[in-house]
Amino acid sequence: MLTEELTNINVDKSIDARGTSCPGPLLAAKKAIGEIQEGQVMEVLSADEGTRRDIPKWCTKKGYEYLGTVEEAGYYKIFLRK
Amino acid sequence: MANKKLTLALFSGSVDKLTAAGVILGGAAAEDMDVEIYVLLQAAFAFKKENAMTNDRVAEITDKKDEFLASLKRLEAPHWTEAFKTAKEMTNVKIHICGFAGKVWNGFKLDDFIDLADDICGIGEYMTSAEEADINLFI
Repeated sequence: MLTEELTNINVDKSIDARGTSCPGPLLAAKKAIGEIQEGQVMEVLSADEGTRRDIPKWCTKKGYEYLGTVEEAGYYKIFLRK
Repeated sequence: MANKKLTLALFSGSVDKLTAAGVILGGAAAEDMDVEIYVLLQAAFAFKKENAMTNDRVAEITDKKDEFLASLKRLEAPHWTEAFKTAKEMTNVKIHICGFAGKVWNGFKLDDFIDLADDICGIGEYMTSAEEADINLFI
C-alpha cells in the first residue's frame, strides 16, 4: 500500500514496541495478533531496523497480510492485516 | 500442519552465548516452533539455582565484558532467563538438563536447577529429538 493510504488506514490495534530490541517487537506483534479478529489491521511501532524486515517475512509464514511500512522520525510504523 | 521443530544443544554457560540463545528462542517462539533444549556441560552451571542470576561470565571478546554487559542494560535487553521464560510462555519449549552435566556441577535433582528446567535426561533423547528436528543448533 502507498504511504498515504497507510497513514489514513483505520488501525484496530497499535503496539508500541519502540523500547525493545530484536526480538522484542516481533514477540509483541505475536502476542497482540491473538487479540484481533481476522481482517482487522494492526500497526507495530518499532525503532529496530531488523524488525522492519522480520515482520513482512513473519506475515508470509503465518498467513497474515503485510500492508507496508511508514518511516517516522526515528522509528517505523509497520502495518499488517490478520 | 505440524509445527516446525528446533533442537538446541546448549553447551555454553556464558551470558553472551545464553543471550544469543534467548534471541533465537524468541524467533522460534514468534513462529510457533516446538523447541527442545538440551543443557550440556557448562550450561548446566548457568542453570543452577545459585548461579543463574549472579553468573556474568562471557565467552568471547572478554576484554570488553564491562562494555558488553553495560550495553545489554542500556538496551533493556531481558536477562537470558527472562528471554527463555518468555519463549516458554509463547510456544512449546522443553528444557532438559543432561544428567552428566548436572553431576559435574553437583546438581543431582531437578530442584537444583532453575524452574525453567523441565527434567533431567540422557543424551539418547537428544539424538532422537535432533534426528526429527527441522533446525538443530549447538551453542
